[in-house]
Order: sequence, then C-alpha cells, then structure tokens
Amino acid sequence: MELRRNPRVSPVAAASVVLLVALCSVLEIRASDPVFYDSFDEPFQGRWVVSEKEDYKGRGILGSREMSNPQKKRNFQIEAFKHKVVVDPKYADKTWKILEHAIHEIYNHNASGLSFEELYRNAYNMVLHKFGEKLYSGLVSTMTAHLKEISKSIEDSQGGLFLEELNRKWNDHNKALQMIRDILKYMDRTFIPSTCKTPVHELGLILWRDNVIYSPKIRSRLLDTLLELVLQERTGDVINRGLMRNIIKMLMDLGSSVYQEEFEQPFLDVSAEFYKGESQKFIESCDSGEYLKKAEKRLYEEIDRVTHYLDAKSEVKITNVVEKEMIANHMLALVHMENSGLVNMLLDDKYEDLGRMYSLFRRVPNGLSTVRDVMTSHIRDIGKQLVSDPEKLKDPVEFVQRLLDEKDKYDGIIGSAFGNDKTFQNALNSSFEYFINLNPRSPEFISLFVDDKLRKGLKGVSEEDVEVILDKVMMLFRYLQEKDVFEKCYKQHLAKRFLSGKTVSDDAERSLIVKLKTECGSQFTSKLEGMLTDRKTSQDTMQGFYSSHPELSEGPTLTVQVLTTGSWPTQSAVTCNLPAEMFSLCEKFRSYYLGTQRSEAVMANQYGDG
Amino acid sequence: MRKEDTVKLISSEGFEFVVDKKAAMVSQTIRNMLTSPGSFAEAQLGEVTFPEISTTILEKICQYFYWSLQYSSGKETEFPIEPELTLELMMAANYLHT
Repeated sequence: MELRRNPRVSPVAAASVVLLVALCSVLEIRASDPVFYDSFDEPFQGRWVVSEKEDYKGRGILGSREMSNPQKKRNFQIEAFKHKVVVDPKYADKTWKILEHAIHEIYNHNASGLSFEELYRNAYNMVLHKFGEKLYSGLVSTMTAHLKEISKSIEDSQGGLFLEELNRKWNDHNKALQMIRDILKYMDRTFIPSTCKTPVHELGLILWRDNVIYSPKIRSRLLDTLLELVLQERTGDVINRGLMRNIIKMLMDLGSSVYQEEFEQPFLDVSAEFYKGESQKFIESCDSGEYLKKAEKRLYEEIDRVTHYLDAKSEVKITNVVEKEMIANHMLALVHMENSGLVNMLLDDKYEDLGRMYSLFRRVPNGLSTVRDVMTSHIRDIGKQLVSDPEKLKDPVEFVQRLLDEKDKYDGIIGSAFGNDKTFQNALNSSFEYFINLNPRSPEFISLFVDDKLRKGLKGVSEEDVEVILDKVMMLFRYLQEKDVFEKCYKQHLAKRFLSGKTVSDDAERSLIVKLKTECGSQFTSKLEGMLTDRKTSQDTMQGFYSSHPELSEGPTLTVQVLTTGSWPTQSAVTCNLPAEMFSLCEKFRSYYLGTQRSEAVMANQYGDG
Repeated sequence: MRKEDTVKLISSEGFEFVVDKKAAMVSQTIRNMLTSPGSFAEAQLGEVTFPEISTTILEKICQYFYWSLQYSSGKETEFPIEPELTLELMMAANYLHT
C-alpha cells in the first residue's frame, strides 16, 4: 500500500487505518493478556499510530515526530506486544510495593507527605490491568499484619490503661481505614461488586474484629473490664462514661451480634445476679416502703446508664431484669410484710409509699392485681368489723359517719396514690357493697343519719356543703340492696319531720328527693313527692285561711297540715279532747277548707302536739 | 475567586488549571482527595497533579465541570465533544469517576 505524503486524507487511507486497528485488536485477543488500556508510564513514541489529521500534527499527545516512513507502520504492531508482555508482572509487583508502603505509612501516622493522586492512580492501574485480586489479597494480609501488631500492643498495656489504649487504637484504625478506602475507591467500585467480595470498609471492621476483639486475651479482658466498671458504678463510684460510650459504640459498629454476644448478654446475666443478691439483702433489712424506694432508685439508675453509654435497645432488657429480680420475685413479701406492708400503708394513709408501690408494681405482670386483691380483702375486713360491732351500732348516726369517713379515705388513696385507676375504684365499690349489706339494719341507719342531718345537722351549712353531704349519702344509698326498706324508713322519718315542722331546709329535702328519683325512678319516690306537695299546699291553705279570717289572728294559732291519704304513713288515730277554743277553730277551718276545695272526705286525724 | 475556594489541576505537561472547588468536586475522585481525613499532600497544598492526563483532555474536563454545574442548576445546554477526544476523555472520566 503506498501512501503519498499528502496531508489530505483519502478514503483509502481512512479505510486502511480502520483495518489496521481491527487487525490489532484481533491479534491482541489472541495474545495471553488482552489489555485494552495502555499504561501511561511508557512513552508513546513508537507504539501508536500517528494520526494523519491536520489538527493533531505537532501536539504532544501522540508524539511530536513527523509522520515517519509509512512502511514502518506494520512493524509497530509487533513491537508493541513485546513491550507489554515484559512489563506486566514486574509492573504489578512494583505498583503493589508502592501501595503497601503507603499503607504502612498510614498506619504509622506518617501519611502527610503522601500524594493521594499517585496512590489512587496506582490502585486504579492495578485493577485495570486485572491485578485486582493481588491488590485485594495484599490489602488483607497487610492490614492483618498491622492489626496483629496493634493487638499485641493492646494486650501489653497495663491494667487501667487497657480501655484507653483500645479506644485510641480503634480511632487510629478508623482513620487509617477511611484513608485506605479513599485510595482504593476504584477497586471498591468496580472490582469488588463483580467478584462479590466485602468492601474495604467492612473488611476493615471484620479484620479488626477478628484480630483484635476476638483475640483470646483481649476478648475476655475487655468483657471483664467493662463489667468491672459497671459494678463499680453500681456501688457508687464515678467512672469514665465517655470512654465507656466509645468502647460500646465500637462494639455496636462491629455489628449488633458482636455487641450482644460480647457485652449485652453477659451484662444482663451479671446484672440479674447482682440484683438478686441486692434484693435479698434489702428485703431482710428494710421495711416495705424503704425497699420500694431503693428499688425505684435502682431502676432509674439503670435507665440513666442506658441513655448515657449503652445501646438504646438494651433499655427494655435491663429494666425487665431489674423489675423481675427486685419486684416480681418479692411481690408477696412486700405486700404482706409485717408492720409495713400494704395494709399498714393503707391504714396510715402513706400516699407516697402507696404511689410508689403502684407505679413499680404496674411494671410487672400480676403486680396490680395482687395489690388490688389485698386491698379488697382488707376493706372487707374493716367493713365487716364495723357493721358487726355492737358498740358502734348503738349510735346509727355515728355508724354512718364512720362509713362515710372510710369511703372518703379510700377515695383519697385511689385518687392520689393509685392515679384514679378504674379497677381499684371498682374493687372499692364492690367491697363496700359487700359489707354494708351484711348488716340488715343498714338502710334504717342511713335513713336515721339523713334524718338527723335534716333536723339539725345541716343548720347553718352552706348550700354547696349540703349538696356534698347529700351526694355522699346517695353514694352509700347506692350500695344498699334493700332499697325498699330504706324507702319505708325514710318515708316515716320524713313524715315526722314535716308534721313536727322540724326540718331545717325545704330545699335540702327537695334536692334529696330529686336525687333519689334520679337514682331509682319516679315510682320509688312518688309517695315522698306527694308528701312534699302536700306540705306546700297546706302552707298555702293556711295562709288563705288566715287572710280570709283576719279576726282570728289574736287567738291561738292553728297549723293544719292537709294530707293526701295514701301518701302519708298511717298511724292509729289518737283521739284527744280539744279545749273549746281549739274546737271552734277547727270547725271554722273545716268549713273554710271544704268551701275552697272540692275534696273527698276529710279524716280529722290529729297529731297531738300541745 | 478567593484562594480558599479554588484548586489547581495540573496536567501531564505542566499546564495549570485553576478551578472552583465546587466545580472540581463534580469528580468523585477529586472530591475524595480533598475531603479525605488523612493529611494528604493535595489537600494541604490545594493542587492536584495528573501525570497521565494531557492538557487538552484536562481542559475539556474543566469545561465539563462547569457545564455540569450549569446543567444541574437548570440551564440545559449541549456539551460538544470532538470525536478524537472521546477515547481519552472516557478513560480520564473513568479515572476521575465523573
């Protein structure tokens, strides 16, 4: 093929160039090591085909020589291959040596003089020339060697400095690892995914774990040291929390399974032992309230410990351990403790202790139900005592007052210490119901109590207080099973009150009857309401009578209650002889009344009252 | 441009291109170089030498950086590449992880 020295590109020349390139590639493939990229280390001259394009003439890239004798072109191809074959094995070793040296420097904190670009380029070239495997295994062995050295130096460190040394070396390792990863980024990007090996960063962590943490001496020493520090803190010493946090973080970075096996599991076991012993000690020496205080303190301490230097996921686990050892195992003992158990707390109104017991027992299964059961049985006992005590029963008012006091007390306890827990409220209600109905005379007593209050007890008391007392009575009323007995008694008492005019306040009467109506329905209170209306009517009638007979105001005053038959309880009539003036007055009234009302037969029952 | 915001890229022939750091960081490799924790020489001196990248290619690459920033901030223009440069440009791009 003859090419003229003509700068103009002819189609033939172009075609020949293409053919040449094709030939080159074919021959390259047949060679042992297909290389598609040329190393920039060797000069280009003599190995590349000089382009004929005008633009490139004289540029530095492809050699500044003039286009040489075209016949030499064919020879170029053959020479090129010879070069490549010779360079490669030495080249790989040379490059690796550079990188190995760099890694050494990095680990020895000498990296400041290194050129990133050079190292990156070397790594890049190695991977490109298919020496990725060599690079990777070289990396592994170098790092392992370094880590073994490091582990040795950590082992040799004296007692107290062990953790600090470990921490420092860990930080160094991390820094070095990052630098190495940056240099070997290309390998990370291309070689590793295609061969499914572990990336550099993970590799560094795994090697650290295997060579340092899992090394027999360090492994056990690390665990012992950490547990020792925790124990020290539990017994009151101050430890270096920052250091602990770093070490724990290191374990977490190495993998959550590492953290769990190397630290968390033994930590939980040791803690369980510790708290078992401690709870035993406390139970024997303190009373219930104090024990609860201590248990609470330990619980908060552990939570605090987790926030400061443990993995957040450990919080649940360690609190379970504490709860189990200190609370669940001693629940019954605490509740039934002599002189300071739940019963005593209830009797003495120890709100703080009760509140603490509630919040601690809430954390363990069956905690609250135990407390509830004991409280219920205690209330029932007290109540039973109360209703069967003959002394107390002599004074019904006093009796009911006692009941009210007890109810108040327990309401207070449930409200402030037990957080108004519904289940406790229910337990209280059921207990009261139980023992109030043990005494068959309870309804009568309650009615007497109300009677007493409405006669004189509520004199001078403000309206709200009246309401409060009546509400409390209603509460007791609800517990009664024999509500109709109550109704009967109440009716009688009410009648007596009205007819003797001894009621303190009509409004109070009315309000109580309304409450009863809301509770039991109008059927229940129909008679009572009838009585109330009658009273009102009578008063009006009296007024009417006196206003129509003004001359009688000088004489004896007559108070007449007009009662509807059936509403009022019947009493046998006691006939009494009225003095003459009274008699005439009565007749006058009767005629007046019969005149004003179209009423049925009026039975003159006189309730003698002097 | 202030000194702190710039970085010098040096080609194989010794041509120096001073570019914004932001532009240079378009290349992941250069970004790693400059932000690596170790105290490598490049980060300290603020200049990076590329003994394997020629001036023409490096110039094209710097143009690419600026074009890339422009493109991602909305202005979508074309980036012309001469066919003769493609091969070396591609290899350099692979090297620089751009």
